[in-house]
Amino acid sequence: MTETAPVDSTFLDTTAAEPTRARRLVICRLQVNGEGVAVVAPVHWTLLELLRYQLGLIGSKQGCDKGDCGACTVLLDGKPTLSCITLAVAVQGRCVETVEGLGVGGEPHPLQREFAERGAAQCGFCTPGVLMSAAAYLDELSSSAEPVVRQADIAAALGGNLCRCTGYTKIFEAVHAAATQILQRSKALADTSTDDAS
Amino acid sequence: MLRLPPFDVHLPDELGAALALLAKHGRQARPMQGGTDLVPNLKLGQTKLEHAVLLAGIDELHGIELDDGELRLGAATGLNALAQDPQVQAHLPALAFAASRIASPQIRSMGTLGGNLCLDTRCRYINQSELWRQALGGCLKSHGRECHVVPGGQGCVAALSSDTAPVLIAYGACVHIAGWQDSALVRRHIALADLYDSDGVRHLRLADAEIVTAVRVPLPSANVHVGYRKWAVRKSIDFPLISVALRLERSDTGSLLAGLLVVSVLGPRPRVIDLKALAGRTIDADLAKALGQMAFDRCRPLPNVPYDADYRRERLAVEVRRLCTEMLNL
Amino acid sequence: MSRPISSDKTARDLHRLDTDGAEGSGPIVGGRHGKHDALPLMSGIDRYTDDITLPRMLHCKLVRSPHAHAKIIAIDTSGAEALEGVHAVVIGSEMPIPYGVIPWTPDEHALALHKVRFVGDPVAAVAAVSEEVAIEACRRIVVRYEVLEALVTPQAALARADLKIHEDNRHGNITKHVHLEFGDVDAALAAAALVVEGDYQFHGSTHAPIEPHCAIASVDGKGLLTVWSATQVPHYLQRELAKVLELPMRQIRVIQPAVGGAFGGKSEPFALEFCVAKLAFKTGRPVKCLYTREEVFLAHRGRHPFDMHYRTAFAADGKILAIDAKSLLDGGAYSSFGLVTTYYSGQLLGAPYRFPTYRFDSTRVYTNKPACGPKRGHGSVQPRFALEVQLDKASRTLGLDPIELRRRNFIGENSVTINGFHIGSNGFLQCLEAVVQASGWAEKWGKLPRGHGIGVAGSCYISGTNYCIYPTELPQSAVQMCLDRSGRVRVFAGTSEIGQGSTTMLAAIAAQELGVELDDVRVLAADSDLCPVDLGAYSSRITLMAGNACLTAARTLGDKIRDILAQLWGIPAADIRLEHRRAFSLTNPQVWMPIQEAFIITESKLGLLGSTGSYTSPQSAVHGDYRGGTIGASPAYSFTAHIAQVQVDEDTGEVTIEHIWCAHDCGHAINPVLVEGQIEGSVYMGAAEAVMEHHDTLPSGLRTDGRRRDSGPGVDGLLMASSLLDYRMPTSLDVPQLTALIVQAPDPRGPYGAKEAGEGPLHSAIPAIANAVFDAVGVRIDNLPISPEKVLRGLRNQAGRKPC
Repeated sequence: MTETAPVDSTFLDTTAAEPTRARRLVICRLQVNGEGVAVVAPVHWTLLELLRYQLGLIGSKQGCDKGDCGACTVLLDGKPTLSCITLAVAVQGRCVETVEGLGVGGEPHPLQREFAERGAAQCGFCTPGVLMSAAAYLDELSSSAEPVVRQADIAAALGGNLCRCTGYTKIFEAVHAAATQILQRSKALADTSTDDAS
Repeated sequence: MLRLPPFDVHLPDELGAALALLAKHGRQARPMQGGTDLVPNLKLGQTKLEHAVLLAGIDELHGIELDDGELRLGAATGLNALAQDPQVQAHLPALAFAASRIASPQIRSMGTLGGNLCLDTRCRYINQSELWRQALGGCLKSHGRECHVVPGGQGCVAALSSDTAPVLIAYGACVHIAGWQDSALVRRHIALADLYDSDGVRHLRLADAEIVTAVRVPLPSANVHVGYRKWAVRKSIDFPLISVALRLERSDTGSLLAGLLVVSVLGPRPRVIDLKALAGRTIDADLAKALGQMAFDRCRPLPNVPYDADYRRERLAVEVRRLCTEMLNL
Repeated sequence: MSRPISSDKTARDLHRLDTDGAEGSGPIVGGRHGKHDALPLMSGIDRYTDDITLPRMLHCKLVRSPHAHAKIIAIDTSGAEALEGVHAVVIGSEMPIPYGVIPWTPDEHALALHKVRFVGDPVAAVAAVSEEVAIEACRRIVVRYEVLEALVTPQAALARADLKIHEDNRHGNITKHVHLEFGDVDAALAAAALVVEGDYQFHGSTHAPIEPHCAIASVDGKGLLTVWSATQVPHYLQRELAKVLELPMRQIRVIQPAVGGAFGGKSEPFALEFCVAKLAFKTGRPVKCLYTREEVFLAHRGRHPFDMHYRTAFAADGKILAIDAKSLLDGGAYSSFGLVTTYYSGQLLGAPYRFPTYRFDSTRVYTNKPACGPKRGHGSVQPRFALEVQLDKASRTLGLDPIELRRRNFIGENSVTINGFHIGSNGFLQCLEAVVQASGWAEKWGKLPRGHGIGVAGSCYISGTNYCIYPTELPQSAVQMCLDRSGRVRVFAGTSEIGQGSTTMLAAIAAQELGVELDDVRVLAADSDLCPVDLGAYSSRITLMAGNACLTAARTLGDKIRDILAQLWGIPAADIRLEHRRAFSLTNPQVWMPIQEAFIITESKLGLLGSTGSYTSPQSAVHGDYRGGTIGASPAYSFTAHIAQVQVDEDTGEVTIEHIWCAHDCGHAINPVLVEGQIEGSVYMGAAEAVMEHHDTLPSGLRTDGRRRDSGPGVDGLLMASSLLDYRMPTSLDVPQLTALIVQAPDPRGPYGAKEAGEGPLHSAIPAIANAVFDAVGVRIDNLPISPEKVLRGLRNQAGRKPC
């Protein structure tokens, strides 16, 4: 477990602002991108504040302040979650995945590669959130009994992520391509293991 | 960015402990489930609290069980879980459908049934920033004394925007409530329709230390059909601007035995219209039309939520007619 | 190493770039490549402004006016200053010099000086140890106001010349009036076979980039101020900072980190940049300000609402004889780019159609609302709507296919518009043809079942303007380039990458010309200490202007390398080609070397390999010879055609846009993936404002006593939708199917013939949708947005049906 020192001193003297009001610092212990972390934060902080300002995980973005745009989307125990309206203390002991954890060993995730190659990210600001929703879609797809990549499912999975640049067209294409790739790979794997068995 | 005002957070793992906390802090405390409604409202400063009592750790609030001809839905059941649950899909398909249409995938994975039923009321004059409300001079639900929707109005008409409430009312659901009295846990249950009051400032008939623990829904018999439709400008993210649930009980000959029309996003509580006046009529396109007309005649949407109120009234009639038409073939 | 190379490829045709790449490698310019900077941006590696944290950084928040129009009587900041954690407070009188992005109309102050002019006008700023303390400090600042009557409609602002929103304005509340007339319009109207006349209302909308505005300032103790800002005009920001803070420009460094979308919403300085700079000086510590989403809506500078009256005269064969346009522009509280907007409202209508007489009369007025400015398609989206709907009406009356009517009026290439703009290449007819083919127009127009319809519209836009917004003879764009012994190309450019792809464009040109791969090019952009000046990401200017500057710099270096290799190999320089990390002889495949070696040899002979390129637009024979005749004139014009197919629900009035085909003539697509992205994004944004989005204020009557009403709806000038929940931009489930078609009519003035692609493809989406709605149900919606209640009302009026 990493004990992370605060990188931002913002909360240290906030008790001065309203001395009459209760204010507590807590240690939030959670798994972030597979690593256990313990971070001191004010008890009323959101997960997004914790990620961005305490852990330096700047990939999750703040766009709308209050859960309307999806730029702050992370996976909480695998489910797409708006970190800007989730209390950090509420996710004690749970697994958080951010865009920083999407690739493996410095290699971009297939989604990231497809997004980059197909122009699915223009300004890139909504993209981390879109990628996390897309990753949740891929997880669901891979775990379904009869996985089929459908445009309508992709659009529905991204329904909580606003993009202002692309008109979504190239985002759909990129997710479709990554999903197809991943299904083909797992099918190939399955075929290989069947071959091995026989 | 908008920051949350400071407050303390409690994470009880027992219902009694949660209720004791709520009782201790009274109006200074609020229960919180997914936070998808309360946190934005706190950020906008329209709701204030000193203590948030998180309910997620209380086992009793979780779970979906079939029990004695009823489906018991724990208040902490996630909205996605509700939409995807095989028992809900089998027995209460309109509820599964309504849950699947709430806001966005993220909100559905965070939000809960209890939270959706207990959504705060919404109005274009309150769901705004502090600067905005300061400019306007407040309203009955904020720090002001006048209603901007109904000039001279004495009661707050902010609207309930829950997608699950109207459909659960149509299913005849009742809510189980736990409270705290004299250091002891007390339980009661009421019909869901009776959970709601007509005062938009305090639209839930819950005492300070009371929370909804579960919803129990009697399994509808084969001749009972429930449907749900809503209208929102966008196909995702938005709250409904008008929503309708319809319950039709069909006789062997295809006529209407009984029914309910539940219209929501009008005011603080869903409007429940008993269809006994139409009993005996054949369930057909004419009935659909008559229901649309009835909704139009008896419901008058206000300019409390965004969009033209007259249009919402006309839209309501169309949605009711279409909902009934969809249900003709069931 | 051998590869087939045909010798006829030696001539580098400016417009037909050779796209024959090395083995296994596609072409760079013209090839389908990803966005150069996308991966680090989307991975949480590269930083946007709010991702930057500096040591000892303070946080700034602004106090904003709750009144739409009021005099500031007194500001008491003592409560804030007494709060622990507060380091400084600043108010308007500490920055009294007015500024404005257009140097002729400086009517804004960093913080309101004597008056506030809209709900949200900033009056004070606080720097504190945290955002939370700053927010609390703002609450403790007491401002006393004398509330004035607010003017929220342009009609009221015009009528009340006695009640000036800006006291020193010359003509009441009119910020700009332009009247220009070409030819005898009245005679042409009188002689016409058909005059289509109508009123059109275009509503306000806003950019809503997902990244809110953010700025950080830091001073180094020696007086050097560094400002990081989410801006699309770092150069203008540097100028205005110098002016307001009374510093020489050399003492200011402006850095534009990655920007999360802009669309015109970040194209001038805003209060936050001045405030963090001032507070950094006052505290000696870095200061950051991040706008809330509501503040982004208040900063606005979005699409101007227009009230338009148009008369268009036609001959019996459909030829346009005259256009007579009158427009009233709702400017909001400040001038912003308004002087230009007012000109653009008429000046940019001169193509793609030819018409012999033209008059436009445009008036922009101040109102007590957030200031309007340039949103994608600045000033010309609104008039384009009116004209293209009128063309549709004319085609119906004259019994002509609307495609044919547009063809007949085509102005042609190498032509001059009625207002004196010189058009070079013009692919409009190809655009029309492309959308007609792709959409199946011939089988659909007028033939779809009731409730389904199809509509067309066309448009034209600029690739930058010929003149800087301040008078100068200096280049509008410049690039410095440097090669090094690692085989890398460094491009230093003042250009603003805002998601549109300017960095990728520069990298592609450098890689193409110098024979390296895209990833071998590092573009260092938008840092005033490192980069030469570029005017910014506005008016679709960067590809043409910075692209040309980059091309010049790259070709200068390429020539040096070829010269040295020519000596070494004893072959003519023209026989040498640099491509995909190799230098080689076109005629003798055996003669080649890795490009890195070529760089090293050349550097060893000539010293460090650096070059510069700059771009200055043509200054003669390109625009009209009259007052205002230069405004809106561009080195090259892009052309667009849209066809939209819609379905109208006759019970609800709801319009579903099923498909939009957009063909856009961008001259030459330096990167087709990015051009398609610009087309798709533009069409999406246009469709969104056509049917969904509205930057609107609460309905209310005018107050006459200057006091708040006891009851009744709203307060004047209060925004209806200042969140991304209430301001409804389409989600992934609301977007129509979009087909982007690239048309290439290379223009001699563009790099490789390239013209703009970022704004033009928005324009005609909106009238195409309106025309499709008419085709579907016979209802004309001339006042935008096309909302269901208006369509329903139209259907009722048509059928005389009763509600329900």
